[in-house]
Amino acid sequence: MAVTELHYGDIEIGYQFPTIEHHVTQEVIDRAALAHLDFNPVHTNIEWNKRAQVFGTQKTVGHGMLTMSMMASLIDRHWRHAGASVIRMQSKLVKPVEVGRVVRCEGYVKELHPRGSGQSYVLVAITAIDNEGDPVGLADYAVRVPD
Amino acid sequence: MDEDSTRLKQYAGTKKMNDFEWDFRQGVQRYETWDKVRVGQSGPGMRQFVVEEEDILAFNLSCLETDPMYIDPEYARSRGGLWQHPLFIVQIVFWCIDTGIGSWLRSPGARNPGQTIELHEPFVVGETITMTCTHVDKWIRRGKTYIEDRCDLHNEHGTLKATWWTRLIIPPNGAELARYAEM
Repeated sequence: MAVTELHYGDIEIGYQFPTIEHHVTQEVIDRAALAHLDFNPVHTNIEWNKRAQVFGTQKTVGHGMLTMSMMASLIDRHWRHAGASVIRMQSKLVKPVEVGRVVRCEGYVKELHPRGSGQSYVLVAITAIDNEGDPVGLADYAVRVPD
Repeated sequence: MDEDSTRLKQYAGTKKMNDFEWDFRQGVQRYETWDKVRVGQSGPGMRQFVVEEEDILAFNLSCLETDPMYIDPEYARSRGGLWQHPLFIVQIVFWCIDTGIGSWLRSPGARNPGQTIELHEPFVVGETITMTCTHVDKWIRRGKTYIEDRCDLHNEHGTLKATWWTRLIIPPNGAELARYAEM
């Protein structure tokens, strides 16, 4: 699925990325907590969440930054072998991801930004959707691509 | 060791993971709180981050990457080096903040409304990263207390590597923060 050759001039608005999907288990959240060094109890403390219910649920929830990482992976897995790199990430997180949810990320090229000399980039609009069909995150990621 | 720590322990593979506090309810009295933060205040992070290959590798694995350029250092070494996931900055910022300026990021009871991150250059193994944190804004919207910092990350040569505008909805004061911590 990875693209190995990519040129800014060949990219068109509307270009769709292959979707990616991940099951957000407690193990996935625990590994993210360690890798992010983010040990907020809302992610890792199962008993505390039954009492605190920060998001109105007794379950732990995944890190917002985990959702953002999946959104970045959508681009990296498809374009990185061709020399593309994410340079800016802007997200809005609209629904918590409870443990056990499946998150799917979809994205398409929304804007073209011609700069030349290796500085051209595209803006990719990404939506992360849970297995109830609700958006959990909306984002625009700027991606520098080869000339 | 409590149940959560026992569970986490099995995945803690790096020195930094093992040198870090695993329960953000501990020490909340040292955290900055929304009511006390002064917009415009700026300062260095509490710690510096020396980039190790194991840090990048662990982050890539947590993102569920499978490409050998992310997860096989030997394979990647002869092909330009291990790739780092774009969100690797998260590990660096949490490490540098610790319980110093920007520590509201650890608040129990916090909610993440969305973030902005700019990446200028990849981090390089062996670099020493220093963070400067500035409180850029705090506001109230629909009864919720929002806060935003700008965290600039430079290497030892003064090159700006990345900026993360950290933004959360956090408890409005120390009493509410302590209430969440003690639940």
